[in-house]
Amino acid sequence: MKDMLLYLLPIVILAVGGFSLMLVDAFQKEEGGLAIPTAMLHFASGAACLALWNYAGSPADLARAASAFNGWLAFDRTTLFLDLIIALGGGLASLLAGSYLNEHKLERGEFYTLITFASAGCMMLAGATDLIMVFIGLETMSLGVYAMTAFRRTNARSQEGALKYFLLGSFAAALLLYGSALLYGMTGHTDLAGIRAALAAPLDVPGLAAQEGGALALSVQQTVRDRVVILAMVLVIAGLAFKIGAVPFHMWVPDAYEGAPTPATAYMAVTVKAAAFGAMLRVLVGVFGDTTGAASLAGGWPGLLAWLAVASMVIGNLVALSQSSIKRMLAYSSIAHGGYILAAFVVTPRAELLPGGEGTVGQSAAASVLFYLLAYAVSNIGAFGALMLAGSRGKEAVSYDDVAGLGKRHPAVALALSFFILSLAGIPPMVGFFAKYNVIRSALEANYTWLAIALMVNSAIGVYYYLRVLVKMYMHDPAPGATRAEPMVSPGIWLTLIFTAVLVLVMGAMPQTFFGYALEAVKLAVAPVAAAATP
Amino acid sequence: MPTLVQALSAVETVNSVSLRYQYGPIFMTVGFALIIAGAVFALATFLGPKNPTPEKLLPYESGSPTTGAKHVRLSVKFYLTALLFVIFDIEAVFLYPWASLYQSLGWAGFVEMIAFLTMLTIGLVYCWKKGALEWET
Repeated sequence: MKDMLLYLLPIVILAVGGFSLMLVDAFQKEEGGLAIPTAMLHFASGAACLALWNYAGSPADLARAASAFNGWLAFDRTTLFLDLIIALGGGLASLLAGSYLNEHKLERGEFYTLITFASAGCMMLAGATDLIMVFIGLETMSLGVYAMTAFRRTNARSQEGALKYFLLGSFAAALLLYGSALLYGMTGHTDLAGIRAALAAPLDVPGLAAQEGGALALSVQQTVRDRVVILAMVLVIAGLAFKIGAVPFHMWVPDAYEGAPTPATAYMAVTVKAAAFGAMLRVLVGVFGDTTGAASLAGGWPGLLAWLAVASMVIGNLVALSQSSIKRMLAYSSIAHGGYILAAFVVTPRAELLPGGEGTVGQSAAASVLFYLLAYAVSNIGAFGALMLAGSRGKEAVSYDDVAGLGKRHPAVALALSFFILSLAGIPPMVGFFAKYNVIRSALEANYTWLAIALMVNSAIGVYYYLRVLVKMYMHDPAPGATRAEPMVSPGIWLTLIFTAVLVLVMGAMPQTFFGYALEAVKLAVAPVAAAATP
Repeated sequence: MPTLVQALSAVETVNSVSLRYQYGPIFMTVGFALIIAGAVFALATFLGPKNPTPEKLLPYESGSPTTGAKHVRLSVKFYLTALLFVIFDIEAVFLYPWASLYQSLGWAGFVEMIAFLTMLTIGLVYCWKKGALEWET
C-alpha cells in the first residue's frame, strides 16, 4: 500500500490537485488565477517522476511495483518518461492558457480542472498494463479534452470541432473496447501479461483431445482463436490510432485543433499523443511483440503500422501544403509528425542486437519514439505559444495573411514563431532535427530503407509549408485594409516560450544525452519482450 | 487449415464446446422474433385497408389536435439534472454491494469507499456552489 502510493505519486498529485482546484474554483469570489497553481501541480508531478526515476532502476524494482499494482499499471522508466512529457506539456499548456483565456475573455476555472484531470488520465493510459485500465485512462483523458475543445462556447467552429471529436472519439473508444472484449473472450485475461502468456501457449480444452474428433475440434478452435485475435488487435490499433490522429483516423484532427482554444490545441497535440503512443507500446509490443515466435499470427502489425505511418506522413504533409490557416497547417503537420513517430514504432519489436552498442534495434527504436515525443512536445508547445502570442482579442493570428509583415512590425514575436517553426521543420541546430534523425536511423537499422526514404522525402515537403510562415512574416507586407494580427502583451507566454526555447536548444545541443535517457527509459520495459523473441 | 465443412462436422462431433450448441436457443429466439415482427408489419402493409386523411397523417398526441413545432428546445437544466442523477445513481449502485460485503472487505474496503465518497462529495459541493442545483435562475 505504501509502495503503491509512492509509485502513483505523479498521478495522485494531479488527482488530488484537480479536486483542490475544483473546490478553490467553487469558493473563490471571482474567476481566474488558477493557471499558475495548475502549472505548479503539473511541474510537481513532473518532479515526482524525476524523483522516482531511481526507484525503477532494476528488474527487482519493477517486479516489486508489479506485485504492488497487481498487474494494473506498470511502474517503469517508460511510464516515468511519458509521465514527464505529459506533466511538462500540461504545465506549459496551462501557463499559456492563463494568458490566452484572459485575453480572449474565456477565463473560467473549469479549464484548469479539466486539464489537470485529463493529465491524470493521460498518465493512467501511459502506464496501463491492463485493458480495463487502458480504457479508463483513455476515457478520463478524452472527456477532459473534449470539453476543453468546446471551451470557446460562443464560437461555432469550436462547438463543431468538439462534437466531431466527441462522436468520432466515442466510436473509436467503442472499437477499442470491442477489441479488448474479443481479446478477453479468446484468452480469459484482461491484463496484458496474461493475454501474452495465453496466446503464447497452444489452445487447450481439458479433456477435449481425448474425445472422438477432439483433435480436429481443437485445431478448429485454434484457428478461430487466432483469427479473432488478429481482428481484436486490428480493432485495438484502430482505437489507439484514432487518438494519435493517424491516417485514416485523422478526420477529426483539423477541425478539433482549429476550433479548440489554442492552449487546448497545444495540450492535446502533445499529451494525448504521448499517452496513446505509450499505450500502443504496451499493448502492441507488450502483447504482440513476439513477431517471430509461436504466437506470430498477430505479428503482422509492424507492416500495418508502416502503411499507417506512410499514409499519415503523405496525407498530413500534402494537405498541410494547401492550408491558409496556420493553426490548421499545424494540425495537419501534427498528423504528419504522428506518422514519423509511427515509422519508428514499426521497428520496436525487432530483437536483433545493435552492432556496436548495447541493446537491441527494437529498444533503440522505442527510445526514438520517446525522444521524438519529448522533442515534439517542446517544439509544438512553443509553436502554438508563439502563435497565440502573435494575436490578441479580435486580432488573432490564424491565417498566413494575418502574420504578413509581422517580422517588421514585431520582430521579437516573429523571431519566436520562426524559432519553433524551424524546430518543427527539423532544421539542424534544433531538437526537431535530431528527433527525425533518430527515427530514420532506427528505420535503417531494421533495413526499412523505403520507410526511411519516405520519411526524408516527406520532411522535405514539410519544410516548404513551414518556411511559408517565415516568408509571409519577413518578406510580405499585409494587403491594405486586411486584418492583421496584433501581438498580445503577456509575460506568462514569454516565460513559457523562453523555457521551451531553452529546452529546444539544450536538447538540440546534447541529443545523445537525452537519447541516452530515452534508451534508459525503455531498456527494462521493452527488454523482456526482446529477450522472449530471441530464442 | 481445416475447411468449413470439416469445422462444422467437428463441431457436431464435439458439441460440448460448440458455439452452435451453447448459443443455439438464443439464435433461434432472435430468428423467431425477427420473423414474427416482420410478418406483422408485412401483413399490416399488404392486407390492411388504407384510407389516409390529413388528420390521420398527423403525429399522435393523445387524441388532441397537434400544436407547435415538432422540435422543442429543452432547457439545459434538464440535462444537468439528468447528469447529476446518473452520477449519484452510480454511487448507490457501488454502495449497495459494498455495504453487503462490508465485513469481509475490512479496513481497505472502508478506506477505498471513503475516498470514493469524498470525491463525490467534492463534486456535489462544486455543483452546489456553482448553482447547478438551482432550478430558478
